[in-house]
Amino acid sequence: MTKEPTRKPARKKRTVLTGGRKRVLVVLFVPSVERDGETTIDQDHWVEATLEMFGRVFGGATAYPKARGIWRDDERGGALIKDEPVVVHCYTTPTDIQDDTNLAELGSFCRMMGREAHQGEIGLVVGDEYFAIPDFAEE
Amino acid sequence: MKTQLDMDKIARGLGAERRGKVEAAGGYFGAMQLLADIEARFRVPAGGGRPTDPRWTERRLLPLAPRTLKRFEQLASKVREHGGVSIEPMQLAALLLEKTAEDLSEDEAEELVRPKKRASR
Repeated sequence: MTKEPTRKPARKKRTVLTGGRKRVLVVLFVPSVERDGETTIDQDHWVEATLEMFGRVFGGATAYPKARGIWRDDERGGALIKDEPVVVHCYTTPTDIQDDTNLAELGSFCRMMGREAHQGEIGLVVGDEYFAIPDFAEE
Repeated sequence: MKTQLDMDKIARGLGAERRGKVEAAGGYFGAMQLLADIEARFRVPAGGGRPTDPRWTERRLLPLAPRTLKRFEQLASKVREHGGVSIEPMQLAALLLEKTAEDLSEDEAEELVRPKKRASR
């Protein structure tokens, strides 16, 4: 008589791989100058405020040292515009980033920064897509 | 496994416009690379507003029938949805004007504006 192969009891799926793990990257760019490209803004204040918002809403974030950039504005006679944006990374879950309350809070924060720091638009990345908020009207 | 996100829902929730795909990676170098990519591809014109063709320096009021505007809105929405390109209805209208103006002959232009003869009853 052949011996039946003993089956191992099926393991429970690890929920960490399906739902709870923070795997969606949200990136917010904190500008260094106003929309005129010259007037500096209180960037430290906005980096602090961004970190505080991400911490409260999504549980944490990292601000990287500022990058230095330069670009030619062909709409203003080829003027060279210098900026030093700070990139803030926040990892969250698909559930949390698609939550209506969280989205409303993130959107509201971006509009506030856009208004108070006199920006043309605020840019952020969610997952693999770039979003722009050009309208800062309060809701 | 790639995370499936409802990007339209996210855009609505944020009050944002979808601008296009990027490759976002973690860490310092990922952050810097992403920044360079975005600054090159999605740069906002000075003075604010959405990215546009820098050659479009002239602005005129353009009267439209409501159904024409509706059609531009539908077309722009389709382009945004399927093409991954952010475009507003009147930006699309400007593109069409530019293309048609290049292709249209003088005879065709005359034909367009000539009053049509009504069919006799």
